[in-house]
Amino acid sequence: MSNKEDILKRYRANVREKYDMPDLSDIKAITYPDPLVQFIKMTENVGGHVIEVKEGQDLNQLVKGLYPDAKEFTSNLPEITIATRNPDTASSACDLNGTDVGIIRGQFGVAENACVWIPQQMKEKAVCFISENLVILLPKSQIVNNMHEAYKRIKFDETYDGYGTFVSGPSKTADIAQVLVMGAQAARSATILLLPE
Amino acid sequence: MSTEHSKAAKEFLKNQTYAKWHDATFWAVRSKRDNMAYGLDEWEQLREKASQIKRHTITHLDKYLDQFASKAEENGCIVHWAKDAHEFNEIVYGILKNHNVKKLVKSKSMLTEECEMNPYLEAHGIEVVETDLGERIIQLKGQKPSHIVMPAIHLNHDDVGELFEEKLGSEKGNHDPTYLTYVARLSLRNEFLTADAGMTGGNFGIAETGDIVVCTNEGNADMSTSCPKLHIAAIGLEKIIPNYDCLAVFQRMLCRAGTGQPTTTFTSHFRKARPTAHPMHIVLVDNGRSEWIGNPEHWEALKCIRCGSCMNTCPVYRRSGGYSYSYFIPGPIGINLGMLRDTQKHSGNVSACTLCLSCQTVCPVKVNLGDQIYQWRQQLDDFGTANPQKKLMCKGMSMVYGNEGFYNLGTTLAHWANIIPSPLMNCGLNPWAEGHKMMEFPKKPFHKLIKDLEK
Repeated sequence: MSNKEDILKRYRANVREKYDMPDLSDIKAITYPDPLVQFIKMTENVGGHVIEVKEGQDLNQLVKGLYPDAKEFTSNLPEITIATRNPDTASSACDLNGTDVGIIRGQFGVAENACVWIPQQMKEKAVCFISENLVILLPKSQIVNNMHEAYKRIKFDETYDGYGTFVSGPSKTADIAQVLVMGAQAARSATILLLPE
Repeated sequence: MSTEHSKAAKEFLKNQTYAKWHDATFWAVRSKRDNMAYGLDEWEQLREKASQIKRHTITHLDKYLDQFASKAEENGCIVHWAKDAHEFNEIVYGILKNHNVKKLVKSKSMLTEECEMNPYLEAHGIEVVETDLGERIIQLKGQKPSHIVMPAIHLNHDDVGELFEEKLGSEKGNHDPTYLTYVARLSLRNEFLTADAGMTGGNFGIAETGDIVVCTNEGNADMSTSCPKLHIAAIGLEKIIPNYDCLAVFQRMLCRAGTGQPTTTFTSHFRKARPTAHPMHIVLVDNGRSEWIGNPEHWEALKCIRCGSCMNTCPVYRRSGGYSYSYFIPGPIGINLGMLRDTQKHSGNVSACTLCLSCQTVCPVKVNLGDQIYQWRQQLDDFGTANPQKKLMCKGMSMVYGNEGFYNLGTTLAHWANIIPSPLMNCGLNPWAEGHKMMEFPKKPFHKLIKDLEK
């Protein structure tokens, strides 16, 4: 007998009483009068920055202005013309190390906890973590209230269908004496650029 | 009469400044958890749903495991089944050997601690680098975690500073946590870039999609799987849940309950390897779980999502620290899991509980932790791990309390004990005197006092 069958058989034999799946449709989950306002507040709470992009504002200039000392910009987004590296054409993920600013696209945000859904949309997802600073473009109309709504919506990319992540603010740790420090192993800062429709 | 736990706690309590800090720190985490819970009107409803989902899932786990494995294989992953720790270690080593891996970076996984994987791999010539900052600190220090979510909580910034001076060449005397975190970041960055494989645990496995979901604040699980060309995910059987609707409930609770944050920074879904990497391996580990589900009093311990909230709130954990427990997971859930693992080795932990039930009041999936500890205590005699002195005392008390004549005689004569000189009573021979002062017995017993009043 294979290990799988052996384990499943033993498990099945040892279960005593069986329980039904509860109905989850009656969960009275939190909603907000204005989810966007809550999303902005929560993003700041978790250590992120939010900038509302004005109609017609140049994204490249905006990003350059935010990081005046940055030299290496990594992105595969067609509108980001200041990119010096591309995660689709890098010969290996390691080559993206040393990126000052990574610019990626988020699908939607979650008001209750500032999560942004980021399915992998590039060949090397390393850009989402290896960059010193992360900039996420997010249409401001795409904010849901809570994770129940979020999990009804998430989709993986059609080309890069193996990975997706919710990101809420910059990488952080309090592992040394419970002191909160931004920038553990991934991006040290996270900025959400809210795009007009 | 002290248990192994209370003997070890004595060591912890020698440094009173630190012991007070430890207690206050965890109480602050508990308060942060409360703020999160009170911020959601639906919190108690979520706890009930979470408990019911887990009850359902772990009593139908054969079905969900099969569905998960089929889906993961359909996604292109290679799924392995390990019946115990040894087999798990062999499987992981086999995969690494096939890919000629010399260095493995890994994110925090209590399962790999449970299976003692690191020493096994190291003995076979593989360099293992922990990448969660807390885990990395204790790895460099040659220690084990003292908490499942905050593994290096027993060290202060000076301890870490001195460690980094020695191991990572940090500036002498600079023990600022921000600086030290940055030193670790630079050192770990180099490890990520030069590792041949990355390993993650899994907070959840989703039967419907085959996703492995990993929650971290540091992004180290994502870094571990973004650069190396091989990803191995290790997950205990009980971590499988049916679908995304269920995941939404747990995702909302895990971090609020554990650290008092609204979410972890990263909630990452791994479905298959990235395009430029080898196929992803998933190892499903039994190691006792298929037996524990049959335990009539303790099967619900399998509901645990490892958030750590039971230890944060536990008055005994807060005042005795993780190293006072004999099992590698401390606190209320660790007491129970340790007893499921080996009653002979871990019976000493069941005394580390005041039965205040704070743990099961905060547990996001409603594991009846304190009730279970009470149950274990009733069985100590059967396991042969009951304390002989306490057993003798219990026999004596049954005799006295079970017989009115003895009882009345005892309470009437008890005050003669008052004339025994204090050094004879409050000494090592009298186990009651340890941590207590002997009480003074009244001349008139309570019954007599009431009867006299009624006259």
